[in-house]
Amino acid sequence: MTKSTKTILWVFFLIVALVQLFPLIWLIDFSFLSSNEFYSSSVLKWPSDPQWQNYINAWVDGKFLRYFINSAFVTSVTILLTVILSLTLGYAFTRMQWKLRPIFFTIILLGIMIPIHATLLPNFAIFKALGLTNSYLGLILPYTAVSVPLGTFILTGFMRSIPKAMEESAVVDGANIYRIVFQIIAPLTAPALVTVIVTTFLNCWNEFIMASTFLSKDALKTLPFSVMNFAGQYSSDYGSQFAVMVLTSIPAIVIYAIFNEQITKGVTAGAVKG
Amino acid sequence: MQKVFNNKMAIFLFVFPGILLFSLTFLVPIVLSAYYSFRDTLSPGTPSAFIGFANYTQLLFHDSRFWLALRNAVLLGLGFILIQHPIAIFFAIMLDRLGGKAEKWFRTIFFIPCVISVVVISKMWLSLLDPTFGAFNKMLDSLGLGMLKHAWLGDSSTALISMLFILIWAGFGWGLLFYYAGLKGIPDDLYEAASLDGASGFRLHWRITVPLLSPVITVQITLAMITALKQMETVFLTTNGGPGDSTQFLAVYLYNKAFSASQYGYANAISILFIIVCLLATYISNKLTRSDATEF
Repeated sequence: MTKSTKTILWVFFLIVALVQLFPLIWLIDFSFLSSNEFYSSSVLKWPSDPQWQNYINAWVDGKFLRYFINSAFVTSVTILLTVILSLTLGYAFTRMQWKLRPIFFTIILLGIMIPIHATLLPNFAIFKALGLTNSYLGLILPYTAVSVPLGTFILTGFMRSIPKAMEESAVVDGANIYRIVFQIIAPLTAPALVTVIVTTFLNCWNEFIMASTFLSKDALKTLPFSVMNFAGQYSSDYGSQFAVMVLTSIPAIVIYAIFNEQITKGVTAGAVKG
Repeated sequence: MQKVFNNKMAIFLFVFPGILLFSLTFLVPIVLSAYYSFRDTLSPGTPSAFIGFANYTQLLFHDSRFWLALRNAVLLGLGFILIQHPIAIFFAIMLDRLGGKAEKWFRTIFFIPCVISVVVISKMWLSLLDPTFGAFNKMLDSLGLGMLKHAWLGDSSTALISMLFILIWAGFGWGLLFYYAGLKGIPDDLYEAASLDGASGFRLHWRITVPLLSPVITVQITLAMITALKQMETVFLTTNGGPGDSTQFLAVYLYNKAFSASQYGYANAISILFIIVCLLATYISNKLTRSDATEF
């Protein structure tokens, strides 16, 4: 490719990136405006008097910290459980020899195709009867159950590409099956595990419909509710609503910025070898 | 070695917890859902009469909403396949050609919408497309296209296409990333051989890249149909199916039937049909697209 084509391509991408990010730029811009400035005719507006109060409202009335901690707790436990269960299931499906293997594998894979929304109604009834609504467990269990099928699928694909010689030499060295899975196979599947962790993180961190069905107690609510709480209370104060949306988006973007490289590597490895 | 792989205790410990959890929060609920779907139940747990297939006959033969929701899912899926995916493939190829630091930077930027919560995406686009203060209409004004101004999500003629637009914006990064990952798996010497034969530019990609990407494309097409069928949150939080069912989807419909209209039994019948439709869609698109594809 010549230098000039490269420059044209570069400029083209820059324009597309700006267009694609425009909604977010607009959101940030308007989060600094007072509500009466919203109706002016300009598309973007330099805030003459930045409304920091919007962010204070967002932080305090959006109960940002409380919900953030809830999200962080629910998401980390879910990720931990998903990784352990997908790893052991994946290993049992690719390497272990047992009769019911194909049946159970099909059952688990059904989980990728069946919409979670279809389990919403019966789970609501079951959780209510068991007293699981309004508990962390009421989110962690379905979140894990939803994440395990995809996790298992990604890991089985990846594990098939690992040579069996790895395990053979470990057995010769006297390692038992548990050591093989957790100390030899787990590190080898790291790129695929990162994909599992990231997809699970994004799904759980931003999940709304199960959380809104199973939770009514304020103390347990997750981050998306920061935004939902605002719609009624501040229905005409758009500046504060936008500020809470900006705040809610920051943690996921920061995590993404940190793990961006591994995400791409993980998806690449998962997609090509899976 | 066989002894290690045949370890019954280990197999049990590896499989049982996952299967148990999956059964309890996925399979048992579906069975329960099937049970409720044969009843005339108003809310979960209320005693109710067994009414056989009445809910199902009502749904399949007398409920135009159900079919509208299915039609919308098909239209949305076609929108993904015909608009989002060609764009994603194009950008993946261009990104791959760009190389260097810029490749990494743009790849990162294009994925950003994918990490933003669906609640934020919905409320943000609701504001962007707002007829009075939304940026979209203001932009049309400043371009001198004021006559095109519209209540984009509030008008039944533009609501579904606006929804498609929002969902493409939000999901474009995933498509791009998968195609990009697929491209990285194509060996460079294939391109070198083809350019020696005189192929270049568009022809080169049409002849080499697209066929070699076909395994990724088939998987992505299946995923697009499933994504369209499963559509819920964005719709629920923006139009809630309206105006006039123009953005109705099965998941939104069943949710509203259960929790707003208190027709719990009926909602469960929708649930069961929803599962059947999803499984059928997966099966059909696998059959249609897999025939010539290599194992991926």
